[in-house]
Amino acid sequence: MDLRVIESEEAELSIEIAGEDHTFMNVLKEALLETEGVGAATYDMNPEQSGGQTDPILTIKTEEDTAPLDALETAARNVRDKTDSFRTAFEAAA
Amino acid sequence: MSEDYEVEFIDRDERDARFVVRDITPAFANGIRRAIVSDVPTLSIDTVRVIENSSVMFDEQISLRLGLVPLTTPDDYDVGETATLALDVEGPDTAYSGDLVSADDRVEPADDNIPIIDLKYPEGADSPQRLEIEAEAVMDHGKSHAKHQGGVAVGYRHLQRIEVVGDAADWEDEPNILRGVIEDDGELVPTESFDHDLSKRYPGKEVEVHDVPNAFVFSIESDGSLPVSDLVLNAVDSLADRADELEQAVQL
Repeated sequence: MDLRVIESEEAELSIEIAGEDHTFMNVLKEALLETEGVGAATYDMNPEQSGGQTDPILTIKTEEDTAPLDALETAARNVRDKTDSFRTAFEAAA
Repeated sequence: MSEDYEVEFIDRDERDARFVVRDITPAFANGIRRAIVSDVPTLSIDTVRVIENSSVMFDEQISLRLGLVPLTTPDDYDVGETATLALDVEGPDTAYSGDLVSADDRVEPADDNIPIIDLKYPEGADSPQRLEIEAEAVMDHGKSHAKHQGGVAVGYRHLQRIEVVGDAADWEDEPNILRGVIEDDGELVPTESFDHDLSKRYPGKEVEVHDVPNAFVFSIESDGSLPVSDLVLNAVDSLADRADELEQAVQL
């Protein structure tokens, strides 16, 4: 997973996440929106046929006192927690 | 912030299962579905060495058919690893997927009855038609080729709840069709138990159907390469791996 920062400000971050698609990006976006201090989060990606930029670009806007990169780290951990608790629940039922 | 999910099985089978997950967000449900389809690697024939093919079809056509045969996938194979299989059938006979002989006995066709090609012994010919090949099956993702998709029918829909809002008018005796699973007094009822017809379960009543928020009924069918439970768990793991990778990349 290669990250490339496109724009970085105090409360806004645009970052390209190479090699990912909707499968992970949408889960991540939602985890970001659940993260405290995140005002807005979205990602944009183009279909392969479009040519040009096809890797997703994640944009995060945060409220004061929250660094966007920290929010991203928290969100990634949140996704991990979701998968862990899903695994536990699924194994308990199976 | 960690959610507690609740999973309850409705049908459970190696090949085909249905279960309800509660308190799951649509995005995560869709992440799991997509990961099952495109990110769980399975073995599938990818390279074929043709020793003899005197059948009526080109080598390439036979190879495509061989590639589409689902193979059981042991869990210790990594992406890119290969397994060797061979097939040798002489007419008059039909070559079936079950005729494939594998070097690794844990890798075998998930179904034995998939026809590859019908071989003849043409009248007046010196010898019968024959197909003899050696093939390499490779472990890869559904993203790269649909033959590597372990899940063939993977989907989810909302769990639904029926509310009786009053009596139906006398002249209304039309069937009221609903497919899926409904929740009634905390009990999960598949709609096939009342012929998918709400007017049979609630005769003479007017009903409204509501989605239960954040409760999804997953319906997953495997092609036989992996049991449904492995498909789901491997898909969840692939999401977890990416989350870890991202967390580490951000920390750097």
